[in-house]
Amino acid sequence: MDLNLNRADYLQVGVTSQKTMKLLPASRHRTTQKVVIGDHDGVVMCFGMKKGEAVAVFKTLPGQKIARLELGGVLNTPQEKIFIAAGSEIRGFTKRGKQFLSFETNLTESIKAMHISGSDLFLSASYIYNHYCDCKDQHYYLSGDKINDVICLPVERLPRITPVLACQDRVLRVLQGSDVMYETEVPGPPTVLALHNGNGGDSGEDLWFGTSDGKLGLIQITTSKPIHKWEIQNEKKRGGILCVDSFDIVGDGVKDLLVGRDDGMVEVYSFDNANEPVLRFDQMLSESVTSIQGGCIGKDGYDEIVVSTYSGWVTGLTTEPVHKESGPGEELKINQEMQNKISSLRSELEHLQYKVVQEREKYQQSSQSSKAKSAVPSFSVNDKFTLNKDDASYSLILEVQTAIDNVLIQSDVPIDLLDVDKNSAVVSFSSCDSESNDNFLLATYRCQANTTRLELKIRSIEGQYGTLQAYVTPRIQPKTCQVRQYLIKPLSLHQRTHFIDHDRPMNTLTLTGQFSFAEVHSWVVFCLPEVPEKPPAGECMTFYFQNTFLDTQLESTYRKGEGVFKSDNISTISILKDVLSKEATKRKINLNISYEINEVSVKHTLKLIHPKLEYQLLLAKKVQLIDALKELQVHEGNTNFLIPEYRCILEEADHLQEEYKKQPAHLERLYGMITDLFIDKFKFKGTNVKTKVPLLLEILDSYDQNALIAFFDAA
Amino acid sequence: MLLPVFTLKLRHKISPRMVAIGRYDGTHPCLAAATQAGKVFIHNPHTRSQHFSASRVFQSPLESDVSLLNINQAVSCLTAGALNPELGYDALLVGTQTNLLAYDVYNNSDLFYREVADGANAVVLGTLGDISSPLAIIGGNCALQGFDHEGNDLFWTVTGDNVHSLALCDFDGDGKKELLVGSEDFDIRVFKEDEIVAEMTETEIITSLCPMYGSRFGYALSNGTVGVYDKTARYWRIKSKNHAMSIHAFDLNSDGVCELITGWSNGKVDARSDRTGEVIFKDNFSSAIAGVLEGDYRMDGHTQLICCAVDGEIRGYLPGTAEMRGNLMDTSVEQDLIRELSQKKQNLLLELRNYEENTKAELSSPQSEADGLRGIIPANTKLHTALSVNLGHETQAAHAELCISTSNDTIIRAVLIFAEGIFLGESHVVHPSIHNLSSSIRIPITPPKDVPVDLHLKTFVGYRSSTQFHVFELTRQLPRFSMYALTSPDPAREPLSYVNFVIAERAQRVVLWLNQNFLLPEDTNIQNAPFQVCFTSLRNGGQLYIKIKLSGEITVNTDDIDLAGDIIQSMASFFAVEDLQVEADFPVYFEELRKVLVKVDEYHSVHQKLSAEMADNSNLIRSLLVRAEDARLMRNMKTMKNRYMELYDLNKDLLNGYKIRCNNHMELLGNLKAVNQAIQRAGRLRVGKPKNQVITACRDAIRSNNINTLFRIMRVGTASS
Repeated sequence: MDLNLNRADYLQVGVTSQKTMKLLPASRHRTTQKVVIGDHDGVVMCFGMKKGEAVAVFKTLPGQKIARLELGGVLNTPQEKIFIAAGSEIRGFTKRGKQFLSFETNLTESIKAMHISGSDLFLSASYIYNHYCDCKDQHYYLSGDKINDVICLPVERLPRITPVLACQDRVLRVLQGSDVMYETEVPGPPTVLALHNGNGGDSGEDLWFGTSDGKLGLIQITTSKPIHKWEIQNEKKRGGILCVDSFDIVGDGVKDLLVGRDDGMVEVYSFDNANEPVLRFDQMLSESVTSIQGGCIGKDGYDEIVVSTYSGWVTGLTTEPVHKESGPGEELKINQEMQNKISSLRSELEHLQYKVVQEREKYQQSSQSSKAKSAVPSFSVNDKFTLNKDDASYSLILEVQTAIDNVLIQSDVPIDLLDVDKNSAVVSFSSCDSESNDNFLLATYRCQANTTRLELKIRSIEGQYGTLQAYVTPRIQPKTCQVRQYLIKPLSLHQRTHFIDHDRPMNTLTLTGQFSFAEVHSWVVFCLPEVPEKPPAGECMTFYFQNTFLDTQLESTYRKGEGVFKSDNISTISILKDVLSKEATKRKINLNISYEINEVSVKHTLKLIHPKLEYQLLLAKKVQLIDALKELQVHEGNTNFLIPEYRCILEEADHLQEEYKKQPAHLERLYGMITDLFIDKFKFKGTNVKTKVPLLLEILDSYDQNALIAFFDAA
Repeated sequence: MLLPVFTLKLRHKISPRMVAIGRYDGTHPCLAAATQAGKVFIHNPHTRSQHFSASRVFQSPLESDVSLLNINQAVSCLTAGALNPELGYDALLVGTQTNLLAYDVYNNSDLFYREVADGANAVVLGTLGDISSPLAIIGGNCALQGFDHEGNDLFWTVTGDNVHSLALCDFDGDGKKELLVGSEDFDIRVFKEDEIVAEMTETEIITSLCPMYGSRFGYALSNGTVGVYDKTARYWRIKSKNHAMSIHAFDLNSDGVCELITGWSNGKVDARSDRTGEVIFKDNFSSAIAGVLEGDYRMDGHTQLICCAVDGEIRGYLPGTAEMRGNLMDTSVEQDLIRELSQKKQNLLLELRNYEENTKAELSSPQSEADGLRGIIPANTKLHTALSVNLGHETQAAHAELCISTSNDTIIRAVLIFAEGIFLGESHVVHPSIHNLSSSIRIPITPPKDVPVDLHLKTFVGYRSSTQFHVFELTRQLPRFSMYALTSPDPAREPLSYVNFVIAERAQRVVLWLNQNFLLPEDTNIQNAPFQVCFTSLRNGGQLYIKIKLSGEITVNTDDIDLAGDIIQSMASFFAVEDLQVEADFPVYFEELRKVLVKVDEYHSVHQKLSAEMADNSNLIRSLLVRAEDARLMRNMKTMKNRYMELYDLNKDLLNGYKIRCNNHMELLGNLKAVNQAIQRAGRLRVGKPKNQVITACRDAIRSNNINTLFRIMRVGTASS
């Protein structure tokens, strides 16, 4: 069965955060529901649809930015009390809009995530988790990394209270009281948690999670251990997951999984007999989907998926057909409704336009006086800068509530800006005078009309570090721009992991000196991505990292006065050594750096590279042949005369070309890393081998593993 | 939603822009397209059993209804149409870098096969002006040639640079077609037969042109721009990061007016309204689009829009029916309108809020440190811009300079300049490091060509610690001759070359022209006629003298013939001069041209010699092969081996000979281009009728190989003394 959903836009409010829109439960079965939504202006709005017009039930006054909105109520009754988290305060509203609760939590950070269950309130700020019961402090936990979401397994079905935290360092932390019961690693930084089927599934322990790199999974949280049930990889390279919900939109009696992503993708997965998810529907909206819920608001009797987007649109994807077949009269009526809506909007616009013109004049006049000041209107920029594991590149996503006019990208480190197919913006690279002005990249993106979201791909080189700046100018008067900064760290291609292989030959770098724990932690933060900025609790810390490009690893253990870094890749150690000594000199700290080099590790790293290099070389060779072979095919009419190897290339031509396109400059990057490895190996020995690099490149051109290893040994 | 009425997937690749539909037998429309390995394929789905028996055409081994035509050379352009109206069916025209073939597919015979020395980059078929018979007009390296169905050369003229696109369009509305020519020097020229009636300068190489209706035509540039012109005025244009591969006019929504259909390099096809450029329909292919055409491919009496992708996929679309009310996309118009209006409303509300916040901020004076961070600046901050000429120093070459400064202590964080044709991309960014921030910035600009350019400036103004900046947007025009600095005259260095002409204008008007087109220092004070001004080129240091006598006679001294042409054209349009006869002398340039002409002759003779040698060699090959096979039959292996060795050596010689031929040909092409350019340049020194007379006369002189006459024409403008 094909799922056919039609888009209907209902209303626009201010910019919204993740999980800030809910549908109030319907009072009777199959009647339309009301939508309640909170935005960055602090306004909570509840509205229903009447004859295609949004009619507000209530609307609060502006206040602090609303970070979360949840529904609650006495357990086992309709959950129709509205709770919002704004700043460090929790407020509660009845469905009529009467405020019955205002609870100042006294958290030092503003609240990021909230879960409500009966009289239990689970809150988390960036690093702090707090559990309140009847607004009384119960439990507290300080997380090692940022908390993205919090949820509690259903207390009405399980005999215990089991809160689960989704943390940025790719783990779910399962708590009991104020302590961690256990941690479990998930494939990406989890951004959202939800109960399976809304109630925790058959066991009441099943949780859905979504990650910022677009993966989905189901996990069962038992009292003793986690059970991973399924995971959906992000093969189509879609955006990160911001919200999920369960609702039977297909109409087969089984609840489906609704997913909203940060690239505007809305997806519906239904479950087959083996309870495996199957994609049934997807539709692209143009901006981040911040909340999603199934229900019925537009028209009685037609189920729909209601989503809210970053810029505050409440949109329905409804099962109601656009053009009904009931006769011409009906259609006319629909059109009439539309026409009314359009004409009322138009008159509203005219009025606004008039007001704006007046204000504009006033603003112009003020520029004549010498005392007046001109403030820049602030607009919110939703940005994300993440490392993709698959192709070891960074993606930068910028989203603004109004259309973007242009974006200027500036970098003081050499990086490559790659083209993203989804973008329609016209990119132009400007020449840089690098010496005097520290510019290595200057590029402008001129966006087409109505672009609110821009995605860029950036390839960095390990060892070269600095700042990337994006100046975003939206299409709004008075024209202003906002600058955002992103750090390119020295070991930019490393990613946090929780397990490493301890049997590999390791090189060690040891730092000793008069430095505090916080200082050494700040150095680690400076060098490596995905490390929490706050020094973690405890005296000694160990982090594991993996190089996303070469799969080599790094272990860093440090305490007050000592830091130990172990890696099987000499280049990693070399970069750390250079950066740390430079930083220490800058801060005038006396640092003793000693290192221990394991010769075997070079061979080991080369062996790690070997399959990748061989694959890429073969791929390049095959792709080169495709055109010639195709020409032969046209000439001869069949391929019977070709050797099987060539026939195989022809058959797989499309696939090969796609693969080749996916990883541009992959071979060059591998060559670069092998060259670095070569130079670094001998740098530690105190010899400069830069003159031998051309020889190395010659060997690489006619690649043979043994010859390469021999060259490394002999030189 | 408009869906394709048919989809075909051919297993042959289609070369971009080289696809055409013709009724080669008079009834059945067939698709012809250039494909790999110097072949042209003809897709004929209508008459399956038809077989070609000749050697040139053979059945495609991959598909039954496709036949292949061997050209044995890379095809550079292709079209189809009625070349001979008496024949009653279409001919296929295939151009390569050296030849033009007019081919009768039905009878499998050549209509003509002509050698074209200037190559054929583009071809168009149709009637031009008053020439009665249809012409196949090809555009090559700076030259345009038109052939009738017998291969007679009925039309020949030159243009400024290598031709990339051609179209026939009734540009001036006189009921006769004019020829539009898009060339590598970014110009679209309109030829009324061999007279240029209009010239429009674009910002990149013009890759495609297509007539829309009346005097309206569409164009596409190599930087991803497409747009529509009405006569000399641009209606609209859009720019994409993809490239427009093919454009075509077709009435897709049945409103009686053609839309501009564009096929893009990313596989997108879109139809845009001819008036606004608004997209009314789009579709996606899996590979780049090779061509957009129209034809009744299903033979049901309805013309379809046919889009061909590079990978051989072909889709046909019927125009939308009346019920669709022009709504070809699956979203409803009302929904879109509501969304658009709401977005507008949101923007206005935001703007209102901005002003409100601004008044709030104003109340909370005085200026403080935190203000700077939030980007609050004094409201009376103004931005000054000034253009000047900088003569440069040791480390930096001379350049035109744009100076931007603020009126108070605010700093300029960055400057974005959007301008076309003078930077590598479409923009130039100046972003000083955090230590070098100040309230003024000097930006060197070196436009590569003498064209007036609009500089759209976006300046980010704030304080050192700001994270938000005010964006000041303004536009400055860079005058046409900004790369020339006013210097004091030095008679010793006065260029020998000159142009001399009379314009009946007052000296003040000439001064006005100078002011508008050059960057003169502010204190420049030019006295009344007669006067002279002297400029130095910032590019190569060449001198430029402009002298005006009381009689209105103007003499321009410069060794750069292009510059002289630019100045004359600029003056002519400024003073609205329609016809201008000019006396010119460029001894150095003419001497070079003389050498080039000698070289052309040499290369021609070498070419003939090499061709003859090759013919000899091919005879030799035949005899060697026969003798070797004889030896084999006689079982005289040793002789056979020797023969084959000889053959091998001969083959090597042939390959070498081919390389020499190639080089020779390249040189020849280069020189021919230089000759064509020289004629064009001589033309550009004149305006209106004299200009065309010069071009025609030069052409005749070259035909009759009369070099002395050629130079006389270039000097005085006419052949007769």
